[in-house]
Amino acid sequence: MDINKEKYFKEAQEKIKHELNTTDQKIILYSLIIEKLPKNINELFEQLRIITDLKYPTLDQYLTIEEYCKYVLDGSLENTDKQKELEKIAFEEISITFDEKEKELVNLFAKNILDLIYLKNQFEEEISILLKKQFPNLYLIATPKIAAKMLQISGSIKRLAKMPSSTIQLLGSEKSFFKALKLNKNTPKYGVLYNHELLFDLNKKNKAKMARTIANKISIAVKADLNNNNISKELYEKILKKKEEIINLQKK
Amino acid sequence: MILKNLILDSGNYYTLDLNTNKKRFWDPNRSKICAGLKRGFNFLPITEDSKVLYLGSAEGYTISYLSDLADSGVVIGVDISPISTQKFYLLCKERSNLVPILASADLPESYKHLIDFKVDVIIQDVAQKNQVEILKKNSDLFLRDGGFVVLSLKTTAISQGKTQNIINNEIDKFSKYFTIIEKKRLDPFEKKHILIVGKKK
Repeated sequence: MDINKEKYFKEAQEKIKHELNTTDQKIILYSLIIEKLPKNINELFEQLRIITDLKYPTLDQYLTIEEYCKYVLDGSLENTDKQKELEKIAFEEISITFDEKEKELVNLFAKNILDLIYLKNQFEEEISILLKKQFPNLYLIATPKIAAKMLQISGSIKRLAKMPSSTIQLLGSEKSFFKALKLNKNTPKYGVLYNHELLFDLNKKNKAKMARTIANKISIAVKADLNNNNISKELYEKILKKKEEIINLQKK
Repeated sequence: MILKNLILDSGNYYTLDLNTNKKRFWDPNRSKICAGLKRGFNFLPITEDSKVLYLGSAEGYTISYLSDLADSGVVIGVDISPISTQKFYLLCKERSNLVPILASADLPESYKHLIDFKVDVIIQDVAQKNQVEILKKNSDLFLRDGGFVVLSLKTTAISQGKTQNIINNEIDKFSKYFTIIEKKRLDPFEKKHILIVGKKK
């Protein structure tokens, strides 16, 4: 049978280009890229320490990974408080000195790790810029990291907007949720929302209450974002008010 | 079931390639239609000149074999994912009778303007909660009278309950719209799947 294939190809081309070029898809891709970078950086850092522990024993107790790599590269830190603290420690008495070749190798390694950290920060910045520009409500209420994670799990902003808030509350806890359903046990109370900045100082029971409140507001925020409405400040005030109520109950 | 391009050789299924005319191995672990053939289906409703609508074509593994079988017909693949369709698009460029559509199979109205003829067979391979309804919607719009449908039902996509209960429920729904010709579980190849061949009432 003869068929005009050109019109199918033309329509498929247009749709592929259109669907891959949306903001929410880009956020999802970026968040997929940087998902495993922290783990890789930690592993590389452990391997770096195999050599540098010879010259700077126990240095990793005082510094973060980024500061450690900078210290290894330059031999000093911009942050003067920490620099003074480090000068008190007598590394020289219990360590060896590197020769030229060793110095070169260590510097190369440390530079690579710093590059990876820079890459991760750049992607995170880009995610929050995109979110702030396109989805301001979601940006303020869910915070960039959690918003990106939610988009990644749901697949797209439209699918997230169609979800009820009870589903949003449990996004990310699918494994334990279905396990609990199968065994007729208690279902989980929160998924990726557990890492939200408003949750960490509450006790276990109130965390669940707060997670429900935030999930409610996220569900409203996403729908407003799709209609180009900016109601983020009002929603955020409501959440803070609810948090005060919950804290007051906690005191009693 | 005699097809020009389907070869059964020592228990394995092969097809003759459309372009190169060479034997090509059909893996039952990757394709549910081939798994059905291996489980002993007597009837696959595809002939050399049939027009086939395949819902859920993904990257185009199964559908490339169907285009070998229906070499003088047309095979249309529908899929929702743009990234899978990138690969499928290039496959369609190589094969003369294969056609891509990027759309949701749940909304057949959105690609109605592209299919302006009636097809002979609809194959449904979209693992969704409303699998039978998706098949029904598409068959209302595109299937000719007396045309055939093939449904590959994934029970875990519908609910986490007992497999046999889900299958019974879905078959009740299915037999409202279609008469069942043959059905078989795909057990060694795909767990908790059933393949059903039916005819439009």
